[in-house]
Amino acid sequence: MNAKLSAIRSAALAPALALVVSLIIGAIIMLISGVNPLTAYESLLRGSFGSASALGKTLSNATPLILTGIAVAFAFRGGLFNIGGDGQFAAGAVTAAWLGVSLNLPGLLGPITVLVAAALAGATVGALAGVLKARFRAHEVVVTIMLNFIVVNIAMWLLMHPLDGFTQVPGSAQIRPENALAPLGFGLPGVHLGLVVAIVAAIAATIFLWRTPNGLELRVTGISVKAAKYSGVNGTVAAMIALGGGGAFAGLAGAGEVLGTYGNMTVPFVTNLGFLGIGVALLGRNHPLGCIVGGIVLGALSAGGQRMQFDLGISAHLAEILVAVVLIFITMETAFTRRRKVRASPSPLNSIEASNDR
Amino acid sequence: MTNEKPLALRMTGITKSFGGTKANDGIDLAVRHGEILGLLGENGAGKSTLMNILYGLIQPDGGTIEVDGVELRMTSSSVALSHGIGMVHQHFMLIPAFTVIENIALGAEPSQHGVVDRAEARRAVVELSERFGLKVDPNALVSDLGVAARQRVEILRALYRGAKTLVLDEPTAVLSPQETDHLFAVLREMASAGMSLILISHKLNELIALTHRVTIIRDGKVVGTVETADTSPQELATLMVGRETSLVLDVVDHKRTAEPLLKVRGLTIDDPKLGVVDFDVYGGEIVGIAGVDGSGQSELLEAIVGLRRATSGTVSIAGRDVTKSSSRTRLELGLGYVPEDRTTEGLVGALSVRENSILRRQRRKSWRRWGLLAPSIILAHARALIATNDVRPPNPDLPVQALSGGNQQKLLIGRELADNPDIVIVSQPTRGVDIAASRDIQRRMLDARNDNRAVLIASLDLDEIKALSDRVLVLFRGEIVGEVARADATDETLGLLMTGEKA
Repeated sequence: MNAKLSAIRSAALAPALALVVSLIIGAIIMLISGVNPLTAYESLLRGSFGSASALGKTLSNATPLILTGIAVAFAFRGGLFNIGGDGQFAAGAVTAAWLGVSLNLPGLLGPITVLVAAALAGATVGALAGVLKARFRAHEVVVTIMLNFIVVNIAMWLLMHPLDGFTQVPGSAQIRPENALAPLGFGLPGVHLGLVVAIVAAIAATIFLWRTPNGLELRVTGISVKAAKYSGVNGTVAAMIALGGGGAFAGLAGAGEVLGTYGNMTVPFVTNLGFLGIGVALLGRNHPLGCIVGGIVLGALSAGGQRMQFDLGISAHLAEILVAVVLIFITMETAFTRRRKVRASPSPLNSIEASNDR
Repeated sequence: MTNEKPLALRMTGITKSFGGTKANDGIDLAVRHGEILGLLGENGAGKSTLMNILYGLIQPDGGTIEVDGVELRMTSSSVALSHGIGMVHQHFMLIPAFTVIENIALGAEPSQHGVVDRAEARRAVVELSERFGLKVDPNALVSDLGVAARQRVEILRALYRGAKTLVLDEPTAVLSPQETDHLFAVLREMASAGMSLILISHKLNELIALTHRVTIIRDGKVVGTVETADTSPQELATLMVGRETSLVLDVVDHKRTAEPLLKVRGLTIDDPKLGVVDFDVYGGEIVGIAGVDGSGQSELLEAIVGLRRATSGTVSIAGRDVTKSSSRTRLELGLGYVPEDRTTEGLVGALSVRENSILRRQRRKSWRRWGLLAPSIILAHARALIATNDVRPPNPDLPVQALSGGNQQKLLIGRELADNPDIVIVSQPTRGVDIAASRDIQRRMLDARNDNRAVLIASLDLDEIKALSDRVLVLFRGEIVGEVARADATDETLGLLMTGEKA
């Protein structure tokens, strides 16, 4: 257990240092633009954790981010870089919008069925990229990005035609209340059961990766394709599980936004959560449980950034710049772990080259 | 006598630490002009670190390097090159898609008004190759060349760049005996032309045959420099290991079983590297597959194990046709397999000993409780493997890449033998493994044979093939060109078969 704790500590060290360094850089930027960084960071902190409503904003921001983060981390454990979060998210969201409006089932069966269907929709989009990768050596980065365009636009078309709710803002009709993900309460506005779904998903992904033969096979594939073949792993199946599994988490994220946060899916719908998932996975060191932390950090920066803008008139873009700086520092893995020989976990950004080899 | 010649190179007090361990601890080494110096040491003794320091790839913490009496700082390999230090690595650094000339001239192109002067490069290369007997077609693509020819290109490249002191890292590891003889003739020619050579090797007989002096290092320190004429393989081994080591393996005659356990009939795969192959392995015998690098050993073993699909022919295990079975089925039918690549195929370097201990059999129900992998069961299995195979350090949570090559191999072979398979297939059993661990591993294979299992090994190390095998099958261009019994397996016979000169 002690060994485990120190492993966690050393895995968290680099992201934590990166966070600190980027806050310092952010402070320098603020000084240049004539803002007192202490006031600004105080406002950032207040806006993210300072009150129940601030915490609520942070956690509701974090809910989809945790899941799109796992979508990247999970695939990366299998050696594949999932940039398809946005498409998988849209597939999940549009599935939730369709079933959420039309499905009429008793009790919790409604939202559970919708969530499962949305996860399957995301998984299908991801697995498609996996098949193309394994069978035809189509690079998953290119394929998942292209699938984003295809799936997002199909979703938009569906929302404007068969699923059109004839509401004032173009999009689907409101979902049936019994299919909604209920607010979590605790005086945290905006936080719904989707957060529980995200945490359960993180635990499930962890158990899958470290406690099942399939998970071991996936991780072996991620480290060495040769060793996976030697261990009797079917490369196509492994790629489908990696990207399909990842897609399922992104699909859940989309469903959570529709069923818990917005109640319907509009045209256009929230975008970029899939891409931000890459940052969440980086912060979480590609561990599903780490993605919970990563999601909360990015969720807090975004909530606090809004508050900074409100209080001090600092552009919300500054918060976005901060996030970008944090992520750049995290990718500089050797900057904070210079003397360490064995890395806690590799960065997905190095995997593009590695995954080309299969 | 070489003794009277002045020093070409002198390294004094070279020290280098990585983390807490001293890879080089005050190493002194000197080579005279026209001398061939052997550098002997086990894996991890510090040979590579020392040579990388000489070649400017690593900066030492302390110590000096003098070339022809002038102290130099080797800040990069180009500095080393410009002072006449050349290196031929064990893994060739050639670009296969380029021609011989292009590879040799790359980075050192003679240019005329900024345009590469190919004619001049060719002239220089041809002259060097004739002078030292390094025969090679300058226009051939490197990808079309055999291993021995690629090595000649590497040597030519170093010479072309003006190397006067040449370091060769395990140059004979991939060569047939005749190719080794030829290489040695070339190296002697280079030495008599006044060049200095440093030969890194762990093959004691070769060091005795070729060198003038041998410097032995152990645990980062020089433990002795001996005149080759006054030493013996036994003395070198004792210096290298630090205690008396038996160089001979006791092999007691053993009667093989009546029926073969492994039958290979007319096997072909979708790869021209392997031809049509027929052979049997009986219980209670070790069959060795010899051949130069690239003659199809790996492909053959992978086809038998089920990692490559047969396009025709059959493979049977104990009378059962497994040609269509997956590698996992073959494993469960009693086929243990140790691939040549330890850390990226047989084991996963980044994963713990514990997780590696169930690899390839990860789907067995016996590791699970409540449907999930049970850490306690796996831990017990890992501990048992560590204990029975003397894996050090005995820590199941260490990543496999933190173990030495010898301990990795003991773990890997132990895991594959733990199921008591009828057939054990081992590729390169002791490559990169120190002497003591090699002996342990070879004994385990003899035990398996004495236990009436069928043992099939493939090795590029002929000494190992000869020491272990009851029968040797020689592969040449994917075909079995000869079968030699233990008593007749000499370097001469095997070498001629390996290079296709006698069929």
